[in-house]
Amino acid sequence: MITRGLWTTTVGSFPKPPHLEKARQAHARGELTAERLFAMEREETVKVIRQQEEVGLDILVDGELYRGDMTTYFAERMPGFAISNPVRSYGNRYYRKPIAVGPIRRDKEQTVSWWQFAQAQTSKPIKGMLTGPYTMMDWSFNEHYPTREAMAMDLAAAVNEEALALQEAGAKFIQIDEPAVSVRPEELPLAVKALGRAVRGLTAKTITHICYGDFDVIYPALLDLPVDMIDLEMANSRYDLLEHFRAQPFTKEIGYGVLDVHSHRIESKEEVKEGIRRGLLVLRPEQMYVDPDCGLKTRTVEEAFAKLRIMVDAVREVRAELGIAVEQGATA
Amino acid sequence: MRFGTTLAGSYPKLPSRAGDVNLRVVKNRRDQGKASDQDVTDAVRETTRRVLALEERAGLDVLMDGCAAWDDAQTYVARGLEGIRIAGLIRYLDTNTYYRQPEIAGPVSWKSPITVEDFRAAKGMTSRPVKAFLPGPYSLYRFSKDLHYADPVRACSALGEALAKEAAALEAAGASWIHLEEPWLGRARAEDAAAVRAALTPVLAGRTLRTVLHVPFRAPSAIFASIRDLPWNTLGLDLVEAPAGWELIPMLPEGRGVALGLIDARNTKLEDSAEVARQAARAAGLRPDLHYQITPTASLEYLPADRAEAKVARLVDSARLAGKGDA
Repeated sequence: MITRGLWTTTVGSFPKPPHLEKARQAHARGELTAERLFAMEREETVKVIRQQEEVGLDILVDGELYRGDMTTYFAERMPGFAISNPVRSYGNRYYRKPIAVGPIRRDKEQTVSWWQFAQAQTSKPIKGMLTGPYTMMDWSFNEHYPTREAMAMDLAAAVNEEALALQEAGAKFIQIDEPAVSVRPEELPLAVKALGRAVRGLTAKTITHICYGDFDVIYPALLDLPVDMIDLEMANSRYDLLEHFRAQPFTKEIGYGVLDVHSHRIESKEEVKEGIRRGLLVLRPEQMYVDPDCGLKTRTVEEAFAKLRIMVDAVREVRAELGIAVEQGATA
Repeated sequence: MRFGTTLAGSYPKLPSRAGDVNLRVVKNRRDQGKASDQDVTDAVRETTRRVLALEERAGLDVLMDGCAAWDDAQTYVARGLEGIRIAGLIRYLDTNTYYRQPEIAGPVSWKSPITVEDFRAAKGMTSRPVKAFLPGPYSLYRFSKDLHYADPVRACSALGEALAKEAAALEAAGASWIHLEEPWLGRARAEDAAAVRAALTPVLAGRTLRTVLHVPFRAPSAIFASIRDLPWNTLGLDLVEAPAGWELIPMLPEGRGVALGLIDARNTKLEDSAEVARQAARAAGLRPDLHYQITPTASLEYLPADRAEAKVARLVDSARLAGKGDA
């Protein structure tokens, strides 16, 4: 009899409502004070936590409504980094990219007070959300360090300090995202080493999210990443990663992505259930945390929660089929 | 020895000086209903004019228009071809930039010129030679999802034939250089040879303009034996990210050109001109019979505009030092 498993969560970011986007732009133009923007961000963070509770997710996030780019947010808060003028990511979308200009270190908290604020709003666990050292290194310019490894390891020490501070504050889940890991298979050993340094001393459940890459090359070596759970895009690759798991068992817990975050289309409950059932052929339910493929920030608020409602309903029905109790203590 | 100078692809669209036309702002205004499509077209032309003027002022020999109208390096051309539709955003190789993935949904063919009007406009803005730019057919195949051919050689051949017609149209419009961006040649394996040759042969064969086969990010070592004797004029190598490219220089066919990618297009750190000049002289020492250009390793679009401009200045300075034998 299975009594645990198939918890639900999200990968981290939620869409910023249009009025918050406008407020951020107004702040950038000097037309809105930092205090007013901060108040709005807190207000919206409370809303996004309520919405996650209403949908029925087991493990929540703060939604990252106060963050811009996932690397720049941290770089802006660490000595050793400068921020570039805008660089294009696609079409008319631009971001300011970090530049390593000196030794990088952590001299103040980056996310802890936001985590504390978010956790105070709910009895459900809130994940601590950080960007990993390899990704921070790979997605920054480097004018200081002699090697990529030297930069990644300094970043790893800084990430570790923040992760320990989150744990000290009470975080039971700490996710350290490494989306860049999957695209340079030859540097997987470096990513493993850096992440190992970043999670040193953590007893909280550790998670890393990586994006779809060349799994023919990086699997099963990917399982060397020293975390409890690896979060993967499954739906976007039409669940073809399961073939790899069939050949080489997935030995860690898995964040099992069932929602395509790049599509406006709302998945049907049946297709999500089918995706979960396919996973259950090669994974154990107590290994599986069901979530979207990636952060939801590129969707509208309405799309994001419509997708999540479908996901949670689908999980409930599969849980019922398997005889897993609905309320089961995700932190157990 | 003289070292020519040119860019290796697109260029940042944003101005580095306040007051210049800002294409990003105009596009945002258009999206908010406050500017028209014509305003965007005008801003694209003005951006092209600014990029060409910047290159000319810096002293580059062969200019590129910077691809101001392009959203990424594939779709601007791919959406103009019959049989291809454009799908969702996908990561561009191992970078933190994106492109919309072309899907080959039917037989690929060329309908009408795609880039010729842009080329003519750019050519009319300068008296210097302007190098046209196209995605390389092999890389276009590898960046795309093939839903039709189910056979790499057939798909590559169709893309090669289609892009050959675009190259011919550029040639007819007066282009004397064409730059084919082929990052996937650096990732191709020996067993991909048939597809690579099927893609490249139609584009390169019979051209009167000078063709540059540019391979950013990785060296085309594994496929080199299969591309060595194809009729390209210049092979572009990324000698910063892929030092293995140095090993290919001694093996290049006699009398060809090599574009030495020595200015790092993926990092803001400015090069030391004298060191770049020394590297260029080293290459020339390996093969004095080749024609040399110094270029960025890839499109400068990966950089913020201020650093891109500074890198262009270093590039020209390096070529001057290398040419004077001061290296």
